[in-house]
Amino acid sequence: MTVRRILVQPVVLAALGVVVIVLVLTAVDDFRSVQLTQMAYLGIAAGGLTVLTGLNGQISLGHGALMAVGAYTTALLLQDDEPMLPLLGVLVVATVVTLVVGAAIGVAAARLHGPYLAGATLALAVAVPGIALYFGDTLGGEQGLRVRVPDAPGWVLDAAYFVTGQDLTPSKYVAFLGWGTLVVAYLGLAHLSRGRVGRRWRAVRDDEVAAEVAGISLGRARVSAFVVSAAAAGAAGFVMALSVRLAAPSGYSLTLSLTLLTAVVLGGLGSLTGALLGAALLTFLPQVVTDAGVSAGLDDIRAAELAPLIYGLVLVAVILLAPAGLSAVSAPRGTGRAGPPRRENPHEHSAQAAAQEVGRHDRRPHLVGPGRRLRRRRPQ
Amino acid sequence: MLEVRDLSTSYGAVRALSDVTFTAATGEVTAVLGANGAGKTTLLRTITGLVRAQGGSATYDGRELTRTAPELMPGLGIAHVPEGRGVITELTVDENLRLGGLGRGGRVRSEDLERVYALFPALADRRSALAHVLSGGERQMLVLGRALMAEPTVLLLDEPSLGLAPRIVAQLFELVQSLVVDQGLTVLLVEQNARSALSIAHRGVVLSLGRVVVDERADVLAEDDQLRHAYLGF
Amino acid sequence: MQQFVNTVLGGLTIGMVYAAFALALVLIWRSTRIVNFAQAPMAMVTTFIALQIIEAGHSYWLAFAAALVAGLVLGAVVERVLIRPVEGKAEINAVILTLGLFIVLHALASVVFGNRYRSFPAAFGIRGLEVGDTTIALTGFDIFTILAVLAVMGLLVLLFRFTDLGLRMRAAAFNQEVARLLGVRVGRMLTLGWALASLVGSLAGLLIAGGSLVHPGYMDAVVVYGFVAAVLGGLDSPAGAVVGGLLLGLSLSLVSGYVGSQLVALAALAILMAVLLLRPQGLFSQARERRV
Repeated sequence: MTVRRILVQPVVLAALGVVVIVLVLTAVDDFRSVQLTQMAYLGIAAGGLTVLTGLNGQISLGHGALMAVGAYTTALLLQDDEPMLPLLGVLVVATVVTLVVGAAIGVAAARLHGPYLAGATLALAVAVPGIALYFGDTLGGEQGLRVRVPDAPGWVLDAAYFVTGQDLTPSKYVAFLGWGTLVVAYLGLAHLSRGRVGRRWRAVRDDEVAAEVAGISLGRARVSAFVVSAAAAGAAGFVMALSVRLAAPSGYSLTLSLTLLTAVVLGGLGSLTGALLGAALLTFLPQVVTDAGVSAGLDDIRAAELAPLIYGLVLVAVILLAPAGLSAVSAPRGTGRAGPPRRENPHEHSAQAAAQEVGRHDRRPHLVGPGRRLRRRRPQ
Repeated sequence: MLEVRDLSTSYGAVRALSDVTFTAATGEVTAVLGANGAGKTTLLRTITGLVRAQGGSATYDGRELTRTAPELMPGLGIAHVPEGRGVITELTVDENLRLGGLGRGGRVRSEDLERVYALFPALADRRSALAHVLSGGERQMLVLGRALMAEPTVLLLDEPSLGLAPRIVAQLFELVQSLVVDQGLTVLLVEQNARSALSIAHRGVVLSLGRVVVDERADVLAEDDQLRHAYLGF
Repeated sequence: MQQFVNTVLGGLTIGMVYAAFALALVLIWRSTRIVNFAQAPMAMVTTFIALQIIEAGHSYWLAFAAALVAGLVLGAVVERVLIRPVEGKAEINAVILTLGLFIVLHALASVVFGNRYRSFPAAFGIRGLEVGDTTIALTGFDIFTILAVLAVMGLLVLLFRFTDLGLRMRAAAFNQEVARLLGVRVGRMLTLGWALASLVGSLAGLLIAGGSLVHPGYMDAVVVYGFVAAVLGGLDSPAGAVVGGLLLGLSLSLVSGYVGSQLVALAALAILMAVLLLRPQGLFSQARERRV
């Protein structure tokens, strides 16, 4: 039963997803398919971030920078008309390179928490664009690197025509690539988070001490979550580079990192569906809002800032009004949750102390479980 | 006179105090005894408003305390000395005492400071030391001195003997007793160290699982073997 | 040699500004255990208020004062309305909240003030001092910057060390419950602390803006540098924040002068990671170990 649950469900969902994707991408025009590609890469990166923040309780403001690593790797491999690797190979290399960078950061980040981790990853987000400027000869400086998207191979064109009855335009080709990447990435993330690894991540998030007592290495759990999350960001960077056809520092500013965090919080920390929903909002909301702003008399540039204004307001509102409402975190579902048992306090006195802790503030549940408050000092 | 009537509170589903009723007479020491987790600390915290009372009242000279903000206690003459000594370790000895003096409003008078230093000569030598470096006994003196800076009429002491050597505990209780005799303070003394507490108390109130199970004169309580064995463990 | 002197002088000047900004972060961290990532856009907004006043034809000093007052008010309002509900909750809530505020203020400033670069005047000359034949890269405005930060630090020391209000504020920051029992209005003290911190942040914003260009994102990197400086000093210690700011200003100036200005943020990241991993309690703290 459980084996079936774990294996079958995501695969069935993915298969349904593929059908929907093919239908939708066939039906829309080129402009929409570019937008849908954007949704795909935001969705992949947000999916990775949701695993990190939602399941493991770490925060990262540096995922935009990690996407830049994937995008620049992609761009460097796609400089010539005759690329040295097939696209699939480029995707693998971009993912692996970002994964390695993510591992280096993750090892450091695993020892940090809360505001320290946020500050360190914020520094990462601010620092990375400078690297592209400094190594301007190789990385193209302010203008960035152009990305030559190779033509779709003949058999793909034939297959596409056979299935959809239309010719495959280049932007649709990229859209299919993007969504294909998303499906694979989400399958992988879902598989990991439902399995042993995911249980460890959640256990560490909920209660470090209990997790450690149960034999889970805190460091390893944190680093692995960061690495997986970084790999997703790398794949997202690959799709973004193909779609934008450019890897330039301005595309990977702090704004992108904060946008990803918004998607994750909007979607309800910890759920891949939520991350995808968040990505959809981030893709389609700006146009609606900007149009509304322009018709209300704002100039284009100012109207374009209305969308981030709304994200920010929603972010604030979620934390103030519904920290539990959007989060699958504070009320873990019964299934698939087999972490170490919560500590019980047979001692009434300490239970009292804990309850006083709660009583002093109001009783609204926390976005992330109470484990953070029960933290023990770790010997340095 | 501090009157506690039907006081109840709970932490979530856990009932911490159930209809606690007793009176602490003016100019007397009332010891509140009981095992760990009996609700003694919660009782003090509920009286001064740190924990919300869900029923009942605690009045001092006719004034309802449980629905008054903790910040206003010093102004009413009530000093709550919390468990764990509650010195602010990042401040100096002098600053801790001054802070106590600010509680009643207005400026700190230097004669008040000197009065407290005269009471605790050990502190006078370390005025500008950070409270962080004080020993357990010195910290207890500091919080007591700090409470006295506001010239309270009621002293709520939460486990003052916790973790102190017996000799220091004896000194401390002697001092509390002299404050009661000399200045007519009303003291509510929460203690696990029942033997020491009863030695200076006029009355003893025993809590068990949030209820008052005994309310008796201290000398009677100290000599009733059955009560002592059942609730006080000595 | 001259380049080295100028690099060092420039580093110390900008270091004073980082010190002020780090001080603002430390004031808030000490009292509420929150790193206010929105400090940067808060300072940016007040600088834009000053710019509007200057462009409307009023004096620089009126604008300067107005920006500081605006900072004070903004800090108080933010604490009261947004921060109060998350105080004492899981720390990730406060992190996300301040980032949300970051995005809101950014976008709001772009909508209201536009997001092009605008030049901000300086109160004093921005030409270097001439000593004999050589020009030292220390301008009148640099000297004003150093003096202004020193003055604010002096005032804060006076407030916290020698006044009853300062004593109450420190008590509220260190131990809320004990402070309440001693009659301290903790809520008011926290609001005041945020207001003061925001004022200091606004000062840093004005000093960075002086004689240069401003746009809604001009303070973004500064919040990172301020954070690094504060962590260098231990995040809990105002004095440490000041020393950390100077050290960081100096180091980044050297990186900028001898390696490349594009790598300044990367150098800050490297310094931050080194401190957090090797000496998490900060460079100067003798205090107990700290959990980062």
